[in-house]
Amino acid sequence: MEVFQALQRLHMTIFSQSVSPCGKFLAAGNNYGQIAIFSLSAALSSEAKEESKKPMVTFQAHDGPVYSMVSTDRHLLSAGDGEVKAWLWAEILKKGCKELWRRQPPYRTSLEVPEINALLLVPKENLLILAGGDCQLHAMDLETGTFMWALRGHTDYIHCLALRERSPEVLSGGEDGAVRLWDLRTAKEVQTIEVYKHEECSRPHNGRWIGCLATDSDWMVCGGGPALTLWHLRSSTPTTIFPMRAPQKHVTFYQDLILSAGQGRCVNQWQLSGELKAQVPGSSPGLLSLSLNQQPAAPECKVLTAAGNSCRVDVFTNLGYRAFSLSF
Amino acid sequence: MSSESSKKRKPKVIRSDGAPAEGKRTRSDTEQEGKCYSEEAEVDLRDPGRDYELYKYTCQELQRLMAEIQDLKSRGGKDAQAVEIEDRRIQSCVHFMTLKKLNRLAHIRLKKGRDQTHEAKQKVDAYHLQLQNLLYEVMHLQKEITKCLEFKSKHEEIDLVSLEEFYKEAPPDISKAEVTMGDPHQQTLARLDWELEQRKRLAEKYRECLSNKEKILKEIEVKKEYLSSLQPRLNSIMQASLPVQEYLFMPFDQAHKQYETARHLPPPLYVLFVQATAYGQACDKMLSVAIEGSVDEAKALFKPPEDSQDDESDSDAEEEQTTVRAWGPLSTRCCPPWKQKRERESRKVKEREGSWDHGSQSTEAQKRRRPTLGVQLDDKRKEMLKRHPLSVLLDLKCKDDSVLHLTFYYLMNLNIMTVKAKVTTATELITPISAGDLLSPDSVLSCLYPGDHGKKTPNPANQYQFDKVGILTLRDYVLDLGHPYLWVQKLGGLHFPKEQPQHTVITDHSLSASHMETTMKLLKTRVQSRLALHKQFASLEHGIVPVTSDCHYLFPAKVVSRLVKWVTIAHEDYTELHFTKDIVEAGLAGDTNLYYMALVERGTAKLQAAVVLNPGYSSIPPIFQLCLNWKGEKTNNNDDNIRAMESEVNVCFKELCGPRPGHQLLTNQLQRLCVLLDVYLETESHDDSVEGPKEFPQEKMCLRLFRGPSRMKPFKYNHPQGFFSHR
Repeated sequence: MEVFQALQRLHMTIFSQSVSPCGKFLAAGNNYGQIAIFSLSAALSSEAKEESKKPMVTFQAHDGPVYSMVSTDRHLLSAGDGEVKAWLWAEILKKGCKELWRRQPPYRTSLEVPEINALLLVPKENLLILAGGDCQLHAMDLETGTFMWALRGHTDYIHCLALRERSPEVLSGGEDGAVRLWDLRTAKEVQTIEVYKHEECSRPHNGRWIGCLATDSDWMVCGGGPALTLWHLRSSTPTTIFPMRAPQKHVTFYQDLILSAGQGRCVNQWQLSGELKAQVPGSSPGLLSLSLNQQPAAPECKVLTAAGNSCRVDVFTNLGYRAFSLSF
Repeated sequence: MSSESSKKRKPKVIRSDGAPAEGKRTRSDTEQEGKCYSEEAEVDLRDPGRDYELYKYTCQELQRLMAEIQDLKSRGGKDAQAVEIEDRRIQSCVHFMTLKKLNRLAHIRLKKGRDQTHEAKQKVDAYHLQLQNLLYEVMHLQKEITKCLEFKSKHEEIDLVSLEEFYKEAPPDISKAEVTMGDPHQQTLARLDWELEQRKRLAEKYRECLSNKEKILKEIEVKKEYLSSLQPRLNSIMQASLPVQEYLFMPFDQAHKQYETARHLPPPLYVLFVQATAYGQACDKMLSVAIEGSVDEAKALFKPPEDSQDDESDSDAEEEQTTVRAWGPLSTRCCPPWKQKRERESRKVKEREGSWDHGSQSTEAQKRRRPTLGVQLDDKRKEMLKRHPLSVLLDLKCKDDSVLHLTFYYLMNLNIMTVKAKVTTATELITPISAGDLLSPDSVLSCLYPGDHGKKTPNPANQYQFDKVGILTLRDYVLDLGHPYLWVQKLGGLHFPKEQPQHTVITDHSLSASHMETTMKLLKTRVQSRLALHKQFASLEHGIVPVTSDCHYLFPAKVVSRLVKWVTIAHEDYTELHFTKDIVEAGLAGDTNLYYMALVERGTAKLQAAVVLNPGYSSIPPIFQLCLNWKGEKTNNNDDNIRAMESEVNVCFKELCGPRPGHQLLTNQLQRLCVLLDVYLETESHDDSVEGPKEFPQEKMCLRLFRGPSRMKPFKYNHPQGFFSHR
């Protein structure tokens, strides 16, 4: 069955990544429902061998793909088809991987279990926001595990979430091509930006969908079917349109740069003015997630990791080049 | 005076008062004894206590009297005083008399007391002695008793029948129930009697049996003689029946002959022959075994070499030759060839060291040969790769009457076995162009076990032999010699250690037996899957995907995409395709695989699929790589859904296997590919800016069009409901 295993590796997609609270470990979830834990500190140390680039432990977390993961102080939360599961980081590292709890948001559809595409932690309120296939944002109280409210408005499934910490507001982007702003205090929709309707950034042949979203106070960057665009939120106008043809699947602010990744091998670095600062090639043909390890507890493990349509997680020790790849 | 009289009277009164009868008798006694010694008798009569009172009183009187005399004397009166003194003196004398008497009495009493004590003591001594004697006697008796109690009778060692059985079986004149019931002693005696009786009977029986046995032995002897006299007669009958056997096609004798021939097989082939015959008889009637080749040649191999020690004895070829000759038939062979060879070599070394003459002769010989070195090497090679003249032919018949002919050869000098395969079918097959390699003898058995390509020699020792004669690898000779697959060695009971280049090869029946069944089954599946592929290819070439009725549920009724091309391509061409890089890099595109190119079309969309067919099909699935030409070129590199389609056919192949043993896999995968292309094209989001109708209107029922971060299309088909959903 060697061939079968090789085929499985060949067709693996890594959807999600999350760095442990201590900053030394990286969890990656693939399309077979497995979560692998890599030790960043071992792989980055000077006497790293080939084995230290393999997972310390791999466990079957979900039946379907693991679309999204986040880490709290103690837990790793993973979400896939319809369910969110919690794992204790301490236990994972001891290689005893038993789920702590699992929750399913109240769904209305019955034929197909909607997937959960995005998880978002709101630390101040101790909330977890889940969004995905049923076009709603569900808020779960992490203290009690109950679902408090659901936000309706999207007409197709939701791809991504982002938090405006100051307000506090949540942004969501979906397949219907709209970015919606929700006020957490009143649990109401505040603002809607229908990106595809703006001619500057619409690309009809790619579709309307918004695949990625990031925000920094008054600024928001989003991309997907429409071009990657920087928006001024208060005036809801596009300010910069980044010249990138391939649809982007992940975008994030980093210092005064914007990092984005998607179809194609490269991690793109943009100036806010729209200039492409650098394109750093990775090992996967397409990237789905970027993860910046900025845990203050582990400064030596401060790296950028990128994963997507392969069984490898590329590690960038600085933004200039790919140092090595972790592999399932 | 008055006091004395009263004193004397008193004992008398007591005496008379105390015991009148005694007193009378004692008085008479004293009267009799008084004559000799009256006071002794008196002692008995008097009471010692009163004597003691009397003594005290007398002493007081004496003291008083002495004091009075003293008093009187000191007063100094003359007459009156003297009289009074005299009077008092007389009184004192009387008192003295009394004292004296008392003293005597006391002495007598003491003596008497002593006597009595002595007497009593003597008596006690006597009693004590008696007691001692009695105790001793008791002890002795007790010892005797224990001795008796501990006595063991011999009968206790005899195993007796139980009481109930005894009373049930023994005749009444022995058991005597009325007597023995109450008396255990009698009972035991009776039981012993019964035991004796029974034993006597058994001894009798034993003797009878012995005589019986002797009689039977004699009978057997007689019958044996008779049977041995039968053998020559049977032989003559057999001889006579031969023409009849031939006439009736009954191959008893033929089998016999085959076994006779088998004696001349080299050990590995012999093991194979025996095991295959056994397996065929026990488990698989469709397996037939035969021996081919010239027996005479095989016999000639074992004739003792006549001129082996001539001037050529140093040449390696000759060395090999003699080794071959050392291979006797099984019955005469006593030592495996490698050992013999070693012995020969060591002997040779000794000879060289021993005689200089011999050494110079051999160098001369070498000199003489040098010019024809190339020819010589060629001869050596031929010699080394020589096959044993006999070979074993296995015919494995499958259910559909197709036959796999396997011919097993033994390479004598390399000590390995090879096989040549040929498939014949019942009906003449229309050979599709793309199926050229499927049944070719070169590849039909490749990778029967994973990684067993049959191109390298399994015997690690061969490499050294090759080095001598300049053979680089066996690969170049495989077509001619047959393939030395590992399983062939195992069937022949040859076991080669992997990492150990030494001769530790022993032909082993159990090794062969343990592999026979699995190998035969694998061979059958291989032939069947190849034939199934053969058939499938025939229709694939005509653009028809032959989905069998039991696999219809895997696909929707209406499939619009069509297979238009199915051709075989070369390994090099495959590796040069731009969309197969991943497979090549993953090492899944070895040169033992078969490569094909399929083209699926729908409208303007053209889907190319490069297929890797592992020789281990159908347990190892074919691998598809896709490239879609529609609105630009799409491969797994730039389109997640193409990637998903590949994984649908490559990774989720298990649901496409169909009924066991899954020979339909390739067809189903191709049909699935057509369905996937339909779904892909129909769900492609319509570009609003382009005018006109969609090229591919959505006909398939889908729950959702896209799902998840990579916007997967609903590729999964749900059978009875007929809709598509996401996996």
